[in-house]
Amino acid sequence: MTNTEPTALTAEQTDHADRRQRGTHLPGDGHMWLMVLGDLIIFGGYFIVYMVQRAMAPAAYLQAQQHLSITIGVLNTVVLVTSSWFVAQAVRAAADADYERAVRLIYGGGACGVLFIGVKAYEWTMKITQGYTNSNEFFMFYYMLTGVHMFHVALGVLILGIVVRELRNPRRRRPSMVEQGATYWHMVDLLWLVIFGLLYVMR
Amino acid sequence: MSATVVAASGGEPVGTEPRAPASKRDLWIVFWIFPTFFGLFGVIFVLLARVIPPPRPDVTTDQKVQWFASHATTIQIGFAAVCVVFGGAAIANGYVAYQMKRMTSGPTFAYAYMGAMAVGTLPGLLLVALCFSAATFRPDREPRISAMLYDLGMLSFNGSLGCFATGYLAFAIAILYDKNQIFPKWLAYVSIWQIVTEVIATQMWVSSAGPYAWNGSIAFWLAVIVFGFWLNCQGIFLKFATDRQPAGSRPAD
Amino acid sequence: MTATAAQRPHESRAITYAWAVLCAITIGSWWLSPGHTTHTASPSVAITTAVVLLGFIKGRLVIRYFMAVNTAPRWLKLSTDAWLFALWAAVLAIYVH
Repeated sequence: MTNTEPTALTAEQTDHADRRQRGTHLPGDGHMWLMVLGDLIIFGGYFIVYMVQRAMAPAAYLQAQQHLSITIGVLNTVVLVTSSWFVAQAVRAAADADYERAVRLIYGGGACGVLFIGVKAYEWTMKITQGYTNSNEFFMFYYMLTGVHMFHVALGVLILGIVVRELRNPRRRRPSMVEQGATYWHMVDLLWLVIFGLLYVMR
Repeated sequence: MSATVVAASGGEPVGTEPRAPASKRDLWIVFWIFPTFFGLFGVIFVLLARVIPPPRPDVTTDQKVQWFASHATTIQIGFAAVCVVFGGAAIANGYVAYQMKRMTSGPTFAYAYMGAMAVGTLPGLLLVALCFSAATFRPDREPRISAMLYDLGMLSFNGSLGCFATGYLAFAIAILYDKNQIFPKWLAYVSIWQIVTEVIATQMWVSSAGPYAWNGSIAFWLAVIVFGFWLNCQGIFLKFATDRQPAGSRPAD
Repeated sequence: MTATAAQRPHESRAITYAWAVLCAITIGSWWLSPGHTTHTASPSVAITTAVVLLGFIKGRLVIRYFMAVNTAPRWLKLSTDAWLFALWAAVLAIYVH
């Protein structure tokens, strides 16, 4: 099977494209969206609790926030946003039935994910050796929020791995599977953007 | 449909007596123990034993003794009831494991779930019952001993989360690999939320006040809301699974 | 279907544009953050409001372009917008209160 542009679209691809044009295409499946929306709500709860606690001791939190490295924060954000670019392009490639390209793009996204975890681990090590542990209220939230997020990233890398395995199998490859994995991955990116804004930037 | 279940070996012996029509009465009896037990668990732990929501960790010895004294009667009634009904936990969780055996993901996860739930019952239910009952049994006990029973009971109740997280993981993985769709896929994702809230709750060992304390908004309230949602979903889908199970069928060994 | 053949590079470009904007906003945040100031940082309603707005915009870009909610059913568009709005409005309200 060559990977040149297919000259004729399958019926499924045409239907897929029609739904996207009409604005009625649900990426992936309902189960994954239930997971994503629920996860967003639960994390939303954590974010609100964080803001409430912060409002009770704003000066202490701000002072602790200054010990975070904004450079690492920006770097990690760019890495994760780039990983989402790879994954989003992979979804498009899969929709065009260009599965080899989709696999390469997913590897790119996954590699960025692994890089993110590496940078985060380095950041944690630095902070812990500098003495900022969960005995400080702000850092308690920092470790908890970034820790749970990192767990989601690791899970996301696993999910991307499963997507690659499915894509490699000519009998099992489906665009909707890539979309499901992508939906989860973008959620991880979305949550990080909130964490970045709340912990690293706002004052 | 028949692909889901028939036991490969050990079929019914061929005999001359007419077989009674297959009935699911045994399944339904066991199923109803699930909501009954958890309903009782709710009443006992919330209204009687006052363990859910938990009493505060950031109190003095005298306040702890005072708390035991003011709740002694309901604690004793509640935990006496626990002695009678806590076997329901084994049956409820065992029935979930039974339905898990119908999954194509194999029986291993079912046994893992069953094992994790069984082990979790000791710290997660019995220890707090014993500690609080012992504290209220002798009202004139040395205060510092009562205070220790307070802490021990609460820490074991909340600290049992590791066992349950393992069980939920087995449950989630089993669902994700199951082609028979005994439980819906999104329930696997909700189980993963459960695991995450349990892991976050570990911070209660470090905080005696604030959102990460054992009564805190994050370590307790958010976690218990997710747990309540998950438990109800598990119960509802357990009923659907029982509905859909063909009468007379048995999961493979 | 020529319509879809024409759509494909267009959607791909939109994803890249979204990525570029996200990176630009992120790198721009470097100057807003308290972590990079050498003196003691002071609270700032203006900066925090900017962070909230930018957070909303970035979130919507990821949802609409990366998660392809732009071409998704209306209920999904509404619920994701609602989450974004509720979250950032609450953050700002608690901060300002």
